[in-house]
Amino acid sequence: MTVLVLRLAGPLQSWGSSSRFARRGTDIAPTKSGVIGMLAAAKGIRRTEPLTELLGLKFGVRLDQPGQILRDFQTARSLDGRASAPLTYRFYLSDAIFLAGVHGDPALLHDLAEALKRPRYPLYLGRRSCPPAGPVSLGVHDITLDDALDSWPWLASERFRRRAAPTVRLEVVRDARPGEPSAETLPDEPVSFDPAHRQHTWRSVLRRHVDVPNDLAERAGVTDHDPLSLLGG
Amino acid sequence: MFLTRFPINPARRGARKLLASPQAMHAAVRAGFADPADYQRPDSRTLWRLDTPAPATVHLYLISPGRPDLTHLVEQAGWPTTATWDTRAYDPLLATLRPGQRWAFRLTANPVHSGRKTPDTKETQRFGYLRAEEQEQWLLQRAARCGFTVATQQDGRPNLRLHQRQTQSFKRGTQPVTLTTVTYDGVLDVTDGQAFRTALTSGIGHAKAYGCGLLTLAPADGAATGR
Repeated sequence: MTVLVLRLAGPLQSWGSSSRFARRGTDIAPTKSGVIGMLAAAKGIRRTEPLTELLGLKFGVRLDQPGQILRDFQTARSLDGRASAPLTYRFYLSDAIFLAGVHGDPALLHDLAEALKRPRYPLYLGRRSCPPAGPVSLGVHDITLDDALDSWPWLASERFRRRAAPTVRLEVVRDARPGEPSAETLPDEPVSFDPAHRQHTWRSVLRRHVDVPNDLAERAGVTDHDPLSLLGG
Repeated sequence: MFLTRFPINPARRGARKLLASPQAMHAAVRAGFADPADYQRPDSRTLWRLDTPAPATVHLYLISPGRPDLTHLVEQAGWPTTATWDTRAYDPLLATLRPGQRWAFRLTANPVHSGRKTPDTKETQRFGYLRAEEQEQWLLQRAARCGFTVATQQDGRPNLRLHQRQTQSFKRGTQPVTLTTVTYDGVLDVTDGQAFRTALTSGIGHAKAYGCGLLTLAPADGAATGR
């Protein structure tokens, strides 16, 4: 079992899964099509070229630091200021950090990890205006996708960790294996990124949670301050 | 002295009114004492604070020289037949306070400094500290004269956590009141028993009528010294 581990972090990210018209939303976690697209960009696959070798990859993501949703109301005008472009809402995740794992053929994963270090086209987190902060690839490892998402150290920032509880529950969203119960389906399995006929099919995902210990949690008795406990019955 | 805990039923309209306005809560607390001397005495006064230990759970804590009767509060903002208030004597705890003890504490306070709005202004007025660092410094500086010091964490910073930093606005009659409040949680070491007792019974800082200044103690785990 080989997994390419990715760290998706940046000031802004935006993962559109079901955007239409003037309201361009963001999912709360990176989408498979967004990340596969980023890997394709790193390898220099053009949008019109087929994705063949990337189609079989299995994908999972852990929400290490969920971030906040930011709404950007755009009022663009033409250069002379006379005509108004459609008023649009664009949504972003600010200050979020995700751990993602991609499972597939080991040779391909090593190839992708190399490509992420020297990408052919710029890497971005869902939208061109959202560059990643720091290296994206955390290397190729010999573990299962589940183990990578369960046991990888928590990636949240120190400031975030200090404010969190002593044990933190993180959400994990990964591709469901055939026959797994209670899977939900999203229109998020990329088939082609060709601008002329962009295509997605349905992807079954499974959501679960992992508990991560937090050694930086501040011990201050915040939640269970009970003054009456000192005064007896 | 008595410490009282009153669970507020936030689903009731009366509770909404009290939670929205410290002025209304102040009046309701004031009305819980038949004898004015039970509300305020020369060396101690009634202090109150709202705590939210869990979502949709609000507790009103009260420290008062006399025993309160909060029937009117139960009727408008509580659970009249099941949960009423719980009053316990505070003096036994006050009598055991001495230097060297370590306690977990919680305090909601109004950190302010006074100054002039412009150099030409004749009168001084109070300005709230809005930045977290300034609010932290405010408490650390005030601790000595209140008879305690804030303990130090492993990383060298004070064992102190600020939350619910907010600026409240409400009406006193027809006049608007604006208050900066912050809740401090942390661990303290007692250095002067008498000064500490005074701080507990007469409060810390300004805006005591509006839910500020009540310092409560709880056991600090792993540090049960000399109780």
